[in-house]
Amino acid sequence: MGKNPKVLAVLLGLALAGCASNQSSDPSDPHENLNRSFYNFNDKLDRNFFEPLAEGYVKVTPDPVRDGVTNFFDNVNYINVIANDLLQGKLNDFASDTGRFVVNSTVGIGGLFDPATSLGLEEHNEDLGQTFGKWGAGEGAYLVLPFMGPSSYRDVGSPVMGTLLNPLTYLTPIITVPLGAMNAINTRANLLEASAIRDQAALDPYTFVREAYRQQREFLIYDGDPPGDGFEDYIEGEADGAILKVY
Amino acid sequence: MNMNKLFKTAGIGLSLLLAAGVALAQSETPEEASPAAVVERLHAALIEAMSGAERLGFDGRVALLEPVLSDSFDFETIARIVTGAAWKEASEEQKDQFLRTFAALSTSTYASNFDSFAGQHFETVSSTEARRGQIVKTHLVASDGTKIPFNYMLRKSDSGWRIVNVIAQGISDLSLKRAEYAAVIKSSGFGTLLSLLDEKVRGLQNVAN
Repeated sequence: MGKNPKVLAVLLGLALAGCASNQSSDPSDPHENLNRSFYNFNDKLDRNFFEPLAEGYVKVTPDPVRDGVTNFFDNVNYINVIANDLLQGKLNDFASDTGRFVVNSTVGIGGLFDPATSLGLEEHNEDLGQTFGKWGAGEGAYLVLPFMGPSSYRDVGSPVMGTLLNPLTYLTPIITVPLGAMNAINTRANLLEASAIRDQAALDPYTFVREAYRQQREFLIYDGDPPGDGFEDYIEGEADGAILKVY
Repeated sequence: MNMNKLFKTAGIGLSLLLAAGVALAQSETPEEASPAAVVERLHAALIEAMSGAERLGFDGRVALLEPVLSDSFDFETIARIVTGAAWKEASEEQKDQFLRTFAALSTSTYASNFDSFAGQHFETVSSTEARRGQIVKTHLVASDGTKIPFNYMLRKSDSGWRIVNVIAQGISDLSLKRAEYAAVIKSSGFGTLLSLLDEKVRGLQNVAN
């Protein structure tokens, strides 16, 4: 534990140093050079450590157990969802998500099971970055955070708020450290399919992940129904075959 | 934490993003098919590829999907959009090669991802007019009732309504490819893009066979 803050400080220092000096062709990714270094760092760490670990975990853990683990960590994260419902003025979601948290924490035995969904209390996905987006904030520059992956100026506070509102944060390290490790491995296991698709489809994995991240965030901010039909973004200047506008 | 979650959903979306279909509307000529019918024909072929996956094998699924894809997608418009400014500068030969490789990549990707069946079905939610075409919204419904939104953008071409984009769970195939291809073209040129695409096609075939 003692070493981690130091490592983080060094990396943050690098990040700040990078702010001034990087150039990029994509205006919304001004830190591309630095982002790519962190992307490669994360990717190496993943391929050498987390991915094989997650594959092993999937092999030895029955599906219902993994579902229970996923449910448990989703549930302890749910106070954050409820708080962001409120910040976004979504009072119906606030009510149903509060009900969901209570039902799953009690009837669902500490969140291991998810009886709330079958009661019609659907799971929602909210966080601080989405709240800022809902309030009208643009995404700002794209960021790749060491150890954590894709983010942006707008989204960088999300894990901070998520951690602060997660009850596990306030338990003794003897409990939080192994639970945190379990969460990391289980989360990575849930992403195995996604990373396989990235590996299969991407020509330039960095750009692939960046675009997928951005679009997915937009989708989440608008709760699955982003405005506009998208045509104007692609098909312009038909007469000469030129595509003027960039999505 | 949040990004992990969204990648979980993005993953499901992307896995489905890469798919296509045949049989239903064979009584209609393609020219007559409405935008929704074009999409539904594609979906029918996808379900057929999935449910017959083992019997067909990879090559069988490619053979099944190829004609449907070429009747459903407007690959020329797609090519123009995903390659951006480079399209105008490319030679006719390069354009031909790109179109051939891109179509092969689409077919192989669908054939490789739609390789098993667990009782899923597609349902069409709506078909609405847009200023330059039509948006068809659909769901892929899993056997447990989970719905994954698939939206299609269609344009009217000389041969009828054709799909130009698939947006699965908010992730637009066109935008993704456009950004990626632009990065490759910028750093290594159109020729490299062509050979990378070709490699992808062969990679998918090799994995499958």
